[in-house]
Amino acid sequence: MRKAIIGAVLVVMAGLLVGAQEEIVAGFIYVGPIGDLGWTYAHDYARRLVDEEFDWLTTMYVESVAEGQEGAIIDRLVAQGCNVIFTTSFGFMDGTIEAAARHPDVIFGHCSGFKRAPNSMSYMADFYQVYYLNGLMAGALTETGKVGYVGAFPIPELKRHINAFTIGVKEVNPEAEVHVRWIYSWYDPGAAKEATEALIAEGCDVFAFTEDSPTVIQVAAEHALPSFAHYSPMLEFAPEYVVSGQLVHWEAIYRDFLLKVHQGIYTTTNLQHVDYWWTLPQGAVELGADFGVAINPVWEDELKAYVIQHPVFGDISVYDLVFIRLSQFADPGITFDPFQGPLYDRKGNLVVPEGMWLSYESLITMEWAVDGVVGPWPGEPEG
Amino acid sequence: MDWESWVVSTLNRALAYGTPLLWGTLGEIYAERAGVVNLGVEGMMILGAFSAFAVAQSVGDPWLGLLAAAVVGAGAALIHALFTVTLRANQYVSGLALTIFGLGFSGLLGARWVGIPLANPLPKLTVPGLSQLPVLGPALFQNQSYLTYIGLFLAVVLWLVLYKTRWGIVIRSVGESPATADALGVNVFLVRYLCLAFGGAMAGVAGGFLSVEYRPAWTEGMTAGTGWIVIALTIFAAWNPLRAVWGVLLFSGLYHLAYRLQAWFPPEFLKLMPYAFAILVLAIAGLRGARQLAPGALGIPYTRGEK
Amino acid sequence: MRRLGPLAFERRLTPSRPAVLGVSLLAILAALGTMSIIFAAYGVPPLRAYAVIIKGTLGTRFGLMEVLRRTIPLLLCGVGLVLAFRSKFWNIGAEGQLLAGAVAAAGVALFTDLPPPLLLPAMFGAGFLAGAIWGMVPALLKVRLGVNDVISTLMLNYVMIYIVEWLIHGPWKGPTMRGFAYTDTFPRAAWLPLIPRSMVHWPTLAVGVGAAILVALLLSRTRLGYELRVSGESPDAAHYAGISFLKVSLVVMFLSGGLAGLAGVGEVAGIHHKLLPPIQISLGYGYTAIIVAWLARGSPLAAVVTALLFGFIFAAGDEMKVTLQMPFQVVGVFSGLILFFLIGVELLMYWRVRFLPKGEGWTGKAGS
Repeated sequence: MRKAIIGAVLVVMAGLLVGAQEEIVAGFIYVGPIGDLGWTYAHDYARRLVDEEFDWLTTMYVESVAEGQEGAIIDRLVAQGCNVIFTTSFGFMDGTIEAAARHPDVIFGHCSGFKRAPNSMSYMADFYQVYYLNGLMAGALTETGKVGYVGAFPIPELKRHINAFTIGVKEVNPEAEVHVRWIYSWYDPGAAKEATEALIAEGCDVFAFTEDSPTVIQVAAEHALPSFAHYSPMLEFAPEYVVSGQLVHWEAIYRDFLLKVHQGIYTTTNLQHVDYWWTLPQGAVELGADFGVAINPVWEDELKAYVIQHPVFGDISVYDLVFIRLSQFADPGITFDPFQGPLYDRKGNLVVPEGMWLSYESLITMEWAVDGVVGPWPGEPEG
Repeated sequence: MDWESWVVSTLNRALAYGTPLLWGTLGEIYAERAGVVNLGVEGMMILGAFSAFAVAQSVGDPWLGLLAAAVVGAGAALIHALFTVTLRANQYVSGLALTIFGLGFSGLLGARWVGIPLANPLPKLTVPGLSQLPVLGPALFQNQSYLTYIGLFLAVVLWLVLYKTRWGIVIRSVGESPATADALGVNVFLVRYLCLAFGGAMAGVAGGFLSVEYRPAWTEGMTAGTGWIVIALTIFAAWNPLRAVWGVLLFSGLYHLAYRLQAWFPPEFLKLMPYAFAILVLAIAGLRGARQLAPGALGIPYTRGEK
Repeated sequence: MRRLGPLAFERRLTPSRPAVLGVSLLAILAALGTMSIIFAAYGVPPLRAYAVIIKGTLGTRFGLMEVLRRTIPLLLCGVGLVLAFRSKFWNIGAEGQLLAGAVAAAGVALFTDLPPPLLLPAMFGAGFLAGAIWGMVPALLKVRLGVNDVISTLMLNYVMIYIVEWLIHGPWKGPTMRGFAYTDTFPRAAWLPLIPRSMVHWPTLAVGVGAAILVALLLSRTRLGYELRVSGESPDAAHYAGISFLKVSLVVMFLSGGLAGLAGVGEVAGIHHKLLPPIQISLGYGYTAIIVAWLARGSPLAAVVTALLFGFIFAAGDEMKVTLQMPFQVVGVFSGLILFFLIGVELLMYWRVRFLPKGEGWTGKAGS
């Protein structure tokens, strides 16, 4: 019996050793330039962190790779000795899956998509909880009752974020609206600026956005209006006016995944169902406009002074509410979700019934606009 | 939403967004009036944007940054001049090369300046007195850039120079018929060099405006196609500095409105309108029989005394 | 004739083929030499850089295939532009014509029920027609209304870009794309076959080479080619010869736009298999093709060579980014430098250098 156990342990250990990658050379393929201060910048920042952290890890990167070119770039990276490759754009999905079939001995990770293969996992760090927290603050700070949102593309990811943000706004300020403009680009400072100015002309006085530059907060600051940063630390671009924001920690996912590849837990044959969908509890995202600053101290007093009658917590300041929700999100037991019924879309349909939460599938395919969203919403369901 | 807010915001934003377009267009008008097309506006602008930011951030003075942008823009234009005027190379190809090179080179040099806000952006200007006017005050005289007013002033001056002075005659004759100008003792090459350098300096400032005032920071490729709009506007304006003002206001007013009207119109259609407009204007001019809008020798290298 | 020591320089009206080749090669070498400074600034020994680039593009089967893949759209657009430029029609609009072809191909692939064997030919046909129509608009505008061709073709690029944007965000947005701005993926029958173990969609490549040969024949052997050359070289003579500018311009732009449209078909049917944002469909191929055509100096067959040169530059750019781990902007600087040197030396081609020791060589020819 004892022999059998030792034997089994040895077999498992041997298996681990065989499957483990002693040395990992990880290649990162980016859709934009690493100097975009947004999506690609954040991935590359994380790459450098893990590169420094693990001495068994070497990394390479290729920036500004157009969609459709990823196949050739992957082949070149494999020729350079990469045994793990991350592709960080939705548009790289099909090319990554095809490459995974071409290179069965290489491990792939595709960011923000939904297709996988035995040697290709998918991953995403999502912000919807953080957007909800920002919404709580935005709802407290608007005086005109109109909050502006500059969005990149009308895709489910942004719709989910804007809806979560709006749910937050309405929770503390039921009369408020969220006005949306789309700029149809991930990076276009001029468009972001004019969209913000258009929202200001419409009467919006608090801003959140999805675009890879600090333009929106700079424009808001010019008009002495508060705003919420997006993606990268942007506090210093308007230290007086940035209230909070979302920060990403891609390194949390990269660290976990690469470590597991190194230990032989993830191999070229078992990734078909590996999907990282990491949010606040896993530390893949953070609330704030700079690391470690959840709420800009300049705005603390105003948020503490805004007290609401909350159905669950009674009289409570928005400042305290944000931190209660934050601790609820951090709780692995999951005690709260922004998309919690009853929720109505802006056409009056009940989209989440009382006592229900949305499934992961519904979250990532969201097309409807929650009640309180104002403005164009391409792809909105009929009826 | 009352009509006043629409008028005010549209005019105000048209002036602000239009400022770099105006500077760039005025410069390109002079280059093309002298007979040389420069498709390198985007490249000169991005080099200007980078140098303005780098100098303004290092020295702490945005005006010095703009000066640097003008110098760098002019320098880049001189490369184009060397190729197209002296070496008589194809102007379209040389301009394209300048754009490709400028975008790449500014990105390389600018890598370490990404992610830093400009400490001292160009201050905004609210004109005392005038800004109190109803409607027009907030539309035209509040929170505008110095460069907006300088640009408008330059448009008038450049129009006067082009049509009312001997210099203007010289420049136009060089663009219309360099052989005739040469026969009259005009140094065709010198005029073309100077006009190109002037155009480059203007494009440089246009780029500098983006990085020290419009959005005080440096990012890779931040001109985002503005230089190509300048080329369109130059023709749209029929190579006339005053018409450039109207063209720029129309274009940037529409650009702003694209975001205000987004709920009713697909933004793509509003965005393509200025380009379609440019063709339409030329077509209407053609219908009226006004075919000779473009400088006669535009795009053709001048070879002295040879055929 | 001018002399410099024992060397005599003679000016010629048209450069000889060896002069063009020799001087161009010199220019490319000079550009590479200048690039050394940038390689060195990034800590890459220049010789190693060149070795890596050559190996990664011309030194392996994979590298060669990559050069070919990048050559395809440049060749098709380039041959069309050679034709346009020969008739002095400044078509800057190949980018828009390419996109028009891509749109038409996507429309056929997604919204018709053609039997599989007919699908790809129909896509090529529709793509050619769409590009041709998009190209004939500025031809009409020029001949009938005197609208400058550089401007109208450039502007139409933007109009087409926004039309593609509108299609993928609006009516053609694919239900299976989870809200992202793409059409659905084409059915398999609409995918172009590839050379095995490569991403070269060979039918498009074959069409491109065939187009180069046909256009060369058209220019040299046909009445239309003659009319086209005359109206480009001497509009007055063309007028007296009774050549119709309208006809020539329309035919030229029908072909030029159509060929660019075929390039668009190749990109969506060979690589992307869907319609996607325009800046991802064409990586500026329509603009680069202007340079391809200009370097080809009016010869469709030479465009095969110049398209290969730029296919090489694109592939070399990938190699610099991947193997040398350099920032992507290096690619722009690299192409910019090569271009600058190529156009800078153009005048040199018009000079013939001969070795003539003192006292000899007064041929009596008129010098300049």
